[in-house]
Amino acid sequence: MGAVLPAVGLTASPRQNHLLAGLSAADYDRVADALEAVPMRLGERLYEPGVQLRHAYFPGTAVVSLHYVTESGASAQTTGVGREGVVGIPLFMGGGTTSSSAVVHTGGHGWRMERRRLTQEFSRGDTLQKVLLRYTQALMTQITQTAACYRHHSVEQQLSSWLMATLDRMPDTEMVMTQELLGSLLGVRRESITQAACRLQEQGYIRYRRGHISVTNAQGLRGCACECYAVVKTEMARLAQPEVVR
Amino acid sequence: MTHDHKANHLLAALPDAEWLRWAPQLEAVELPLGRVLYESGVALTHIYFPTTAIVSLLYVMEDGASAEIAVVGREGLVGVSLFMGGESTPSRAVVQSAGYGFRLRAAALKEEFSNSSPVLHLLLRYTQALITQMAQTAVCNRHHTLDQQLCRWLLLSLDRLDGAELVMTQELIANMLGVRREGVTEAALKLQRAGLISYARGHITALDRAGLEARSCECYAVVKKEYDRLLPDRMAV
Repeated sequence: MGAVLPAVGLTASPRQNHLLAGLSAADYDRVADALEAVPMRLGERLYEPGVQLRHAYFPGTAVVSLHYVTESGASAQTTGVGREGVVGIPLFMGGGTTSSSAVVHTGGHGWRMERRRLTQEFSRGDTLQKVLLRYTQALMTQITQTAACYRHHSVEQQLSSWLMATLDRMPDTEMVMTQELLGSLLGVRRESITQAACRLQEQGYIRYRRGHISVTNAQGLRGCACECYAVVKTEMARLAQPEVVR
Repeated sequence: MTHDHKANHLLAALPDAEWLRWAPQLEAVELPLGRVLYESGVALTHIYFPTTAIVSLLYVMEDGASAEIAVVGREGLVGVSLFMGGESTPSRAVVQSAGYGFRLRAAALKEEFSNSSPVLHLLLRYTQALITQMAQTAVCNRHHTLDQQLCRWLLLSLDRLDGAELVMTQELIANMLGVRREGVTEAALKLQRAGLISYARGHITALDRAGLEARSCECYAVVKKEYDRLLPDRMAV
């Protein structure tokens, strides 16, 4: 918390974000000046339910959770967003607000674009529009999978899938994460997370200490994940292929 | 009635110029119970605009267990991956309440989406509303009781029908919600005892809508509010 923007964030290319990397050279050059490098700190709220979004965020190293908080205060993540995506789809889909919140759960950096510029560029109908829509389609797959997963799979499977998906979005294998936060992201009691994390640790797949989780055996962890992890990963990869756009 | 395009809210909201181009290309189709409109991973050939039918978007697991992600009726369309990109999805679309609708060939839809800004905006706003429904289903599956979920599900279905009667077996509801049939039977009995619904031989009749709303979790209201805000025609209640 409160860490200064790491030097890498200042020098890294916005093309670290896969959507920005997917733009044609001409389209990228046109929007580059509108991309502002920003630190994205652990716990930072990028938007709140019902509040007009002002920027779209393209994470570089940060990972964001889109989640919904119920009237009783319980919450559940519907999807995570990292360097493969963008936070703020209602800006181009329409509506300008959502019923969910977006909170940074892994600190890092990213780039943001002001909403008017984004909608203006989106309306041109070039590669930016195609890339954003395809990503939104992939996001729907993730949300769908989350809904099915919450219904049918065990906390241990869900935790494994969640860790694998987060690992895919990070430059290294260690994440700063408390069991408390994991519980609120997955919408289960902290005790359930503790039990599941203990089992994964006993098998040597992860190491957990003082708010840091390291993945020590990704292959083993993947074996504990439910099918949801692979379904989302496959669909993300498929939709990231340029030839999918016709 | 079944062949009136205005019965679908998105078709009804098309500007005149768009409608003139679409009308000759729209095909009226019967959508019988259980008809699969698209299968997981298979490229879509048409986009569907239900009028009286209700379609369920389901995800089917490797072991055959299923879970409904969203329902689509006269307020919407089935086949967003055609214009969003990707042409197929890992989910499946099945008719859950028989009726009618219209369909448009994939190529025609894509052309309209690329060339008409009103069409693009209309379809994207609908998709945004659909995303809200999907996200709310995920949250609901995590936190709410089967009793609450059944109320939510009945209300979402009733909003997409004329009248207060649903033709629906408990088996099918259980499949949609991804729970055991016994659980649905028990929840339905409670609603019946409370005088909110009557259930006989595969027909469910809502007797007390306000009562159902009071027993539903907040998810119904959250989704309805977002649909009302984003979509052209208010959902008829």
